[in-house]
Amino acid sequence: MSMRSQVYSWNGANFNPAASNSAGTTNYSVGNALSGRQISIFIGGFGNNITMPAETTATEFVVIEDVACTPTLNATAGVCTGDETAAVNTQGAAALMLSRGQLFNWTCQNNNDAGAAWAGASAGLFGPRMYVQVRINTTDYFLNPDNVTNDGIPGTASPYPRSLDMQPSFNLYPDVYVLPGQVWDVRVTSYCQDANFNTDVANTAGYLGNWGKVAAAGVVTPIAGAGGPEFNGIDFNAFVKYTLYDGPDALIANKLLEMGISINPGNVDWYKRSLLSAQ
Amino acid sequence: MSMRSQVYEWSNLAPGTVAGGGAGAVLRRSQNDLPVQVPANQSTDIFIGGIGNNISTPAETTATQFIVIEDIACTPDISGAVQVRINTTDYFQNPDVTQMNGVPGLASPYPRGSPSVNPTGNGAATTAAQTLVLTPNNLLKSFDLYPDVYVLPGQVFQILYTTPVGTGATQYALNAAGQVVSAFVKYTLYDGPDALIANKLLELGVTINPNNVDWYKRSLIEQQTAAATAAVAAAASNGGAA
Repeated sequence: MSMRSQVYSWNGANFNPAASNSAGTTNYSVGNALSGRQISIFIGGFGNNITMPAETTATEFVVIEDVACTPTLNATAGVCTGDETAAVNTQGAAALMLSRGQLFNWTCQNNNDAGAAWAGASAGLFGPRMYVQVRINTTDYFLNPDNVTNDGIPGTASPYPRSLDMQPSFNLYPDVYVLPGQVWDVRVTSYCQDANFNTDVANTAGYLGNWGKVAAAGVVTPIAGAGGPEFNGIDFNAFVKYTLYDGPDALIANKLLEMGISINPGNVDWYKRSLLSAQ
Repeated sequence: MSMRSQVYEWSNLAPGTVAGGGAGAVLRRSQNDLPVQVPANQSTDIFIGGIGNNISTPAETTATQFIVIEDIACTPDISGAVQVRINTTDYFQNPDVTQMNGVPGLASPYPRGSPSVNPTGNGAATTAAQTLVLTPNNLLKSFDLYPDVYVLPGQVFQILYTTPVGTGATQYALNAAGQVVSAFVKYTLYDGPDALIANKLLELGVTINPNNVDWYKRSLIEQQTAAATAAVAAAASNGGAA
């Protein structure tokens, strides 16, 4: 098994570590406090993580072929005025949940703390407004046209999961190569917070955020400062697909790189065949 | 990393006030962003247009860069369209060679599979019984940007978003207004030696893509190998004659 197709799927929730592939039990779920912060899906301390940074050994070569994350759907801002937590709202209607599709049950973002009598503008987005970046050692892969590092690929352009509602506009080609001895990371950023951000994050017992996807009944138990039933990270995903070349195949991958040939299983096999033919 | 796949996503979102919605442009996204009003019939540069998320300088290639634009798309709502401008020349034009808004979002939607109209409410925001109105279609693309658009070294390029309707003000009471719109561009950035090869392929009339750049590299290596082999053979032959 010297060429292996691999995936890593990350989920922002970690309320039930036994049911996830998390190695840790103390991770928090993604919540408001992470809005605007770039976090590693491998060792970021939120959601399911692995035990150490992702890196290649001297005899490994990794080719990253796809990255994706939860998409976002634009809306008309007026649809999400209001405050879901207010039973009686005299000025704004309740924030609405998307009634169909992949982002089913997402509520819109309000983005400002207006209390029970919501009267302000809204962000007009269903979804977490999420981006995914690839970092090799200390260098971010995706840049703006002014050569400044950006947040990465929008989940809207490369959605995970894919559906009829959300299809990819982006294809990671050419692939990203992680050479032997390099450290690599996949980092996500989301810009989202709910109307009660300022007060509810610290409310460990009664957190009632008003964006995110409503969890199934009985699934979650709120963790301090980490969210609640209205938003618990369960629909906050990222995904990376890569091929791991190990041992002799990693050497061949290096050789192909020197020759300017794309590294994929077909070309590695072609190189092996050409070696055999030469003998 | 001399060939890199890149994307840029623009939305009319920037921080503002609760009463008035978003305003102006911002270099970094934030969780406080709100929709900024986009005027009707006015082309907005998604890079430095002063609305939504922008970058610090106009998008241009340096002497050692070559950009191939492979896809453009935008929100299909409110008849949005995207145009590519290289220096001062618009790429898409009408059959009578007059100016147009570009590729409609209905033909190249972003995101793919999205409804043709943004989700909205069914009534005034002052009523508590508002329900969601969602157009039940999944738009797929009718347009494919092929051949690609080349941005040569030293050229400035713009992606222009235009809507003949305009987005409304973003105050909460205007339920039918305050649309969030986005535009998207996917391109490949060739830098350093790969940009030189891209220029060479352009001269040769060969399509510029990562495969062809790799092919050109291989052909150079093969030529060098053949030349070295020939030199060795010639040296051996001369030695034998002496």
